[in-house]
Amino acid sequence: MSAQPAYRLAAPNWCLPVLLFMAFFFVIPLAANLLRTQSPGTGPFFYYIKLLTDPYYAGVLWETLKVGLITTFATLLVGYPVAFFMVRFAGRWNALIVFFVIAPLLTSIIMRTFGWRVLLARRGLLNTWLLDWGLISRPQNIADDPIAVYIGLVHVLVPFMVLSIAAVLQGVDVSLEESARMLGAGRLRTFLHVTLPLSMDGIATGCILVFVVTNGSFLTMLLLGGGKIKTLALLIYQQFNTTQDVAFAAAMGNILMLVAAICFALQFHLLRHRGVKT
Amino acid sequence: MSGPVLMLFAYMALFMLFITLPIAAVVVISFSDSSFIAFPITGLSLKWYRHIVEYQPFVTSLATSIELALASTVLGAVLGVPAALALARSRRALAGVVANLLLAPLSVPAIVLGFALLYFLSALSFGLSFGALLIAHTVAGIPYIVRTVLATYRALPRDLEECASILGATRGQVLWHLTLPMVRPGIFAGGMFAVLTSLDNLPLSFFFGTATTNTLPVVMLSYMENQFDPSIAAISTVQMLIAVSCLFVLDRIYGVERLTAV
Repeated sequence: MSAQPAYRLAAPNWCLPVLLFMAFFFVIPLAANLLRTQSPGTGPFFYYIKLLTDPYYAGVLWETLKVGLITTFATLLVGYPVAFFMVRFAGRWNALIVFFVIAPLLTSIIMRTFGWRVLLARRGLLNTWLLDWGLISRPQNIADDPIAVYIGLVHVLVPFMVLSIAAVLQGVDVSLEESARMLGAGRLRTFLHVTLPLSMDGIATGCILVFVVTNGSFLTMLLLGGGKIKTLALLIYQQFNTTQDVAFAAAMGNILMLVAAICFALQFHLLRHRGVKT
Repeated sequence: MSGPVLMLFAYMALFMLFITLPIAAVVVISFSDSSFIAFPITGLSLKWYRHIVEYQPFVTSLATSIELALASTVLGAVLGVPAALALARSRRALAGVVANLLLAPLSVPAIVLGFALLYFLSALSFGLSFGALLIAHTVAGIPYIVRTVLATYRALPRDLEECASILGATRGQVLWHLTLPMVRPGIFAGGMFAVLTSLDNLPLSFFFGTATTNTLPVVMLSYMENQFDPSIAAISTVQMLIAVSCLFVLDRIYGVERLTAV
């Protein structure tokens, strides 16, 4: 007698309703967006060529990538020590720290940008402190400056980075670090040669996530950038609100999708390459 | 404690300050008694809370937001949970493809999804309505529910259901009395994420809003473009309190710490 197949409660056709829903309201609309990039009298690639060759739009593309890379790197620098602390030192305080780390995700984007505007304004708290410590001689309005955009982005994206890295660090055996220390490696050397390489998967996941989310953000740029940072997503928003150039906005959206797809293919490849469970 | 460890503790203190300061500033300003924004505030009052209760657009849009978050999450669960149950125990390659499709909305920028859906639904003359908002928010919420239910169901022993069926339970009885109660933490956790994301999904919502179906973030954004007074701080604080209470419920059901072990 052959082995009975294991009992399965759910039949494959339980997927049908959600598949129909997603086909109709996710796949088809995004596919239609691919075909929407042509206005009467232009070729199918007119807007893509414009985006890549027109100096203004090529500059926006470049700035989008630049903002994404700087934000990702800054978020990694800010977040890594936090993840390290959570896994190695937090102990029973871990739940409280998780709560603090994800606090920005519990507030609305309006609340966060409002808060930063208040703190970074000319007569805000930060300027008062910097003046008191003698670091600056006259107050600056930081609220409408690229630096405010980066601060706002790091603030809301650092939870993703911390949680991605902490998840991987939790699986790293402490005894490996202890062995390195016992064999005479200093703290820094142990970190650079043992801890850091072993947490690479978490770093990669966190960085790709932060980079992709940054590429799609526009409200932080709109509310904190004072018009000084122009990215692709912000341009889509402005096209939609003012000029209503549907074909052009659709082309920009498709480029954003392409960048996101490349990033996730990269992540899939990296994780599979290392043989890590997802 | 040695030097580097002490530095790490000091860094954590700074980090906590960085995370909480902008949020705390808004909460403090919401209790201000002046009609302009100043921090630190000069006197305490509740007048901005009275103002937001009296300002009709805030009240109606908050109701719309909550209704939308709950409706889209329930619809997302009704569609997503059966699929997750089927996918979790399937070993076919196709199941992996379907699971990836259901998780895909997480990776699509909300502004692109909103834009594409608006023009698609408008072509069906369905563009600006609560129905369009509901569809958009359901698409965005399904991945959260599918992800946690997949993980919860996969971690459960499979033989319990088999035992129940051998003992004579019908499929419906196994589902209702055994499987659903066991995956309930996963449904709640995913649903809570979907609710929280929906409440603040401005990039998706602003495409579909009309005078009668605007969500709270959309109303707040347009209010802020015209006026700059502490009532924005008050309504923000209310919204945060809603989210924080959701998180406490989630913590009780699922455990916040498990978020680090996704």
